[in-house]
Amino acid sequence: MSRIGVFVCHCGENISRTVDVEQVASAAGEIPGVAYACDYKYMCSDPGQNLLKKAVAEHKLDGVVVAACSPRMHEKTFRKAASAAGLNPYLCDMANIREHCSWVHEDKKLATAKASDIVKLMVERVKKGKSLAPITVPVTKRALVIGGGIAGIQAALDIADAGHQVVLVEREPSIGGHMAQLSETFPTLDCSQCIMTPKMVDVANHPNITLHTYSEIEKVEGYIGNFQVTLKHKARSVDESKCTGCGICMTKCPKKKIPNEFDQGHGLRTAIYVPFPQAVPNTPVIDRENCTMFQSGKCGVCAKVCGPGAVDYQQEDRFSVEAVGAVVVATGFKLYSIDRKPEGSPIQGYGEFGYGAIPDVIDGMTFERLASASGPTGGKILRPSDGKEPKQVVFIQCVGSRAREKGISYCSKVCCMYTAKHTMLYHHKVHDGQAYVFFMDARTPGKGYDEFWRRAVEEEEAVYIRGMVSRLYQKGEKIVVMGSDIQVGVQVEIEADLVVLATAVQAQDGADLLAQKLGISYDKYNFYSEAHAKLKPVECATAGIYLAGACQGPKDIPDTVSQASAAAAKVMTLFSKDQLERDPVVAKVNEKYCVGCLACKKVCPYGAVEEKEIRDRQGNLVKVVAYVNPGVCGGCGTCQATCPSKSVELDGYTDEQIMAMIESL
Amino acid sequence: MTPGKKRLNYSYYPGCSLHASGREYDISTRALFKALNVGLKEVPDWFCCGATPAHNVDELLSLSLCAKNLSLAEQVEGDLAVACAACFSRLKTTQHHLKEDEEKRKQVETAIAGPAALDKPVKHILEILAREFGLSKLEESVKKPLMGLKVASYYGCLLTRPPEVPELDDCEDPSIMEDILRALGAEPVKWSHRMECCGANFTLSRPGVVLKLSNAILESARLAGADCIMVACPLCHGNLDIRQKEIKDAYGAPDSTLFGNIFGSELQQGAPKDQRDLPVFYITQLAALAMGVPSGNLGFESVITDPKPLLREKQLL
Repeated sequence: MSRIGVFVCHCGENISRTVDVEQVASAAGEIPGVAYACDYKYMCSDPGQNLLKKAVAEHKLDGVVVAACSPRMHEKTFRKAASAAGLNPYLCDMANIREHCSWVHEDKKLATAKASDIVKLMVERVKKGKSLAPITVPVTKRALVIGGGIAGIQAALDIADAGHQVVLVEREPSIGGHMAQLSETFPTLDCSQCIMTPKMVDVANHPNITLHTYSEIEKVEGYIGNFQVTLKHKARSVDESKCTGCGICMTKCPKKKIPNEFDQGHGLRTAIYVPFPQAVPNTPVIDRENCTMFQSGKCGVCAKVCGPGAVDYQQEDRFSVEAVGAVVVATGFKLYSIDRKPEGSPIQGYGEFGYGAIPDVIDGMTFERLASASGPTGGKILRPSDGKEPKQVVFIQCVGSRAREKGISYCSKVCCMYTAKHTMLYHHKVHDGQAYVFFMDARTPGKGYDEFWRRAVEEEEAVYIRGMVSRLYQKGEKIVVMGSDIQVGVQVEIEADLVVLATAVQAQDGADLLAQKLGISYDKYNFYSEAHAKLKPVECATAGIYLAGACQGPKDIPDTVSQASAAAAKVMTLFSKDQLERDPVVAKVNEKYCVGCLACKKVCPYGAVEEKEIRDRQGNLVKVVAYVNPGVCGGCGTCQATCPSKSVELDGYTDEQIMAMIESL
Repeated sequence: MTPGKKRLNYSYYPGCSLHASGREYDISTRALFKALNVGLKEVPDWFCCGATPAHNVDELLSLSLCAKNLSLAEQVEGDLAVACAACFSRLKTTQHHLKEDEEKRKQVETAIAGPAALDKPVKHILEILAREFGLSKLEESVKKPLMGLKVASYYGCLLTRPPEVPELDDCEDPSIMEDILRALGAEPVKWSHRMECCGANFTLSRPGVVLKLSNAILESARLAGADCIMVACPLCHGNLDIRQKEIKDAYGAPDSTLFGNIFGSELQQGAPKDQRDLPVFYITQLAALAMGVPSGNLGFESVITDPKPLLREKQLL
């Protein structure tokens, strides 16, 4: 006869409000095999855990059921307590009477009955449970960082400084990301390039960092501590080992009028190019779609002028496999700057704002380039259409953000602050100019942020108009902005020279595809999901993969850097161990009964099932059976449900346990 | 039904305006559908949808009026074709609202003593022309292309808004009217005020509001070089057409200006004003004209701003 202890938690009032916990405890005491049952206000607290430990000793318990919250919340807590009391931790289970019961029901009587049933089920499961030992797997102490913006750079530097090898992958020709494009940064107005480019150089020079630019993730296999990642190195057409970065190829390239992506299409570049002069690495790429050599086969000037002979038109995409133990995803964001609804997208466009139709309606990033000393205008605020200095600039906040009817309901978080910054930069550069801002709210939580916003309004003379804009249209050289001032209750029209739209922050193109390769989850906006909104903000639900920066949701630079360092700290924690302990809830094959049909192999979502040959002493093949690699198995149980001969079982969820649970009802 | 193989057939809810002040919209709709060989059968015993007044006064009444009309329409085969923007909006709003609100649906069904036809497809004639009949077929059917006619297509408030209800086009930046105009051989102009309000039914209670708002629409259409305006709403038509002379009297002086000056803009004084008459057409009048329907059958005689000089000039009469 088992001696199970049942501990019913009130969870403050979370459970006891709708479940009569005393009754659940007394009913549990009546279940055959239960030696002890009680209830307590907070089982997870120190006195609650001590209660459990004491009861195990006093009542000689051989199994424990804690009726409380979800096992995702506190299974680890109670298993640790049970283990401290001398029990096998896998003989401690949780009956979830909070998420599965008290939170979702109103009728106390029915909820109490259901809670008792849940407890009964778990008691039966523990009764048939076995002692299990954790599985250990080795850890490859080498990290992959995906994305070379400020998030990826920070994470890579932190991990590398801790003495671990880092592979940093960036899909553009240079690292730097969006931060390298910015002019000055809030709330201190320090120059973005001045704080960013030294970090880029640090990455390039760090002995522990291997940098792969112009490269993408092709395939991800493996599991925490043991990932095999296939990288695709796109053909650069320039041999990185030979190129000295002298730049003569760019000065001689005859194709000189290609809009430069780094300047949001407002500057020009050549067909062989580096995105910006401070690029890391300073190795050019050939944009094959715009290169005369690739399009018509005639030219070859860059190859002729290249001293070390680095230009290689024959180069092809190349693949390499990297073994890493942890992955930091830092793929960043893009701006919602669209005029019409893209095909198949739930997101509407902003044609009524003339984006794409009126040249002097630009987005915030384009304004950054105009204000940047390294930008296409050398830091002068000149409007794109005729190069004149705009005397009236209208900034519109929340374009796309917080607009459910346009398909995005979230706040993009950074626009209030960067628009305030834009008005200041404008005021510093065009002294007789006037900036207007249409805004819904000014959201300025952050150290020094509200002070910064107030400075824009009070000292830098930006006129803030609370209200939204309905429409923009071109009238001669002016752009008429029609909006409302809801504080005064009037309609407003402003004749502007330049309009800057603070467009929403969106997940990067292809964020969903990368998530599918990595096996991590993402929300309906393609932002990656953290494991717990509050307590696990940098971990993915998939073990060994961590998040940094705006790929998880809109974020400013300080938040991004904090999260990147946090992700790096998580990687270092993982790398602090030589062997990794994993939950032993994995499938095991009974080789005696397995007929080798390998139906389990077909259904396994983790690719954990392998073929195993069984040979006799002479080496003759007896039969082929399935083998589950415990390091890879995710414990989902799909194989168990599929196996026609009932020869695969998941430890902790054996058929015997499940049947006992069902029979108890 | 495979479009193109079988004749399209619609039930038809004209609404009160199309039997009164906007009768040329009704006449031209019927003429156009006949010319396109598309069936149009009027819903028997239909009555007022409640328009703007009903839902300002009594929500249940306004929903019930539309629900009853929809259940009458259910008795006629074919999707329900609606020409008037207000009727279209009210009927679609009722369906949308009652689908979301079970309680309200029960109240309405008690009031009309029968089921509300929430799944009867309600189609505006714009979407029938552009999507169901189809732009390419429309283009093929044109007998007299509207060559050289510069048209400011005016959507007004209700055709595309609120975004979740009409499902007609992008709610702030639609193109369906322009697409149809191009198919008819006309030249849609790019202009600023196609989505602005004309003042609607303030036309009786506060005409000053209508004069101001409609003036802005007319002036921006002139500024864009339009010869005329095209509408799909009898109330917009009334405001832009009937009040055009009054608007000129009120705003025609050279120093008055269209654009507000609350912040920044300088008054543009003394410039002579463009005072051209802008005929206001219903979409169906222009489309029927392009299909070769004789102009005498399209109700051109019952509008105030005479379109005939313009049509003669463009050799469309």
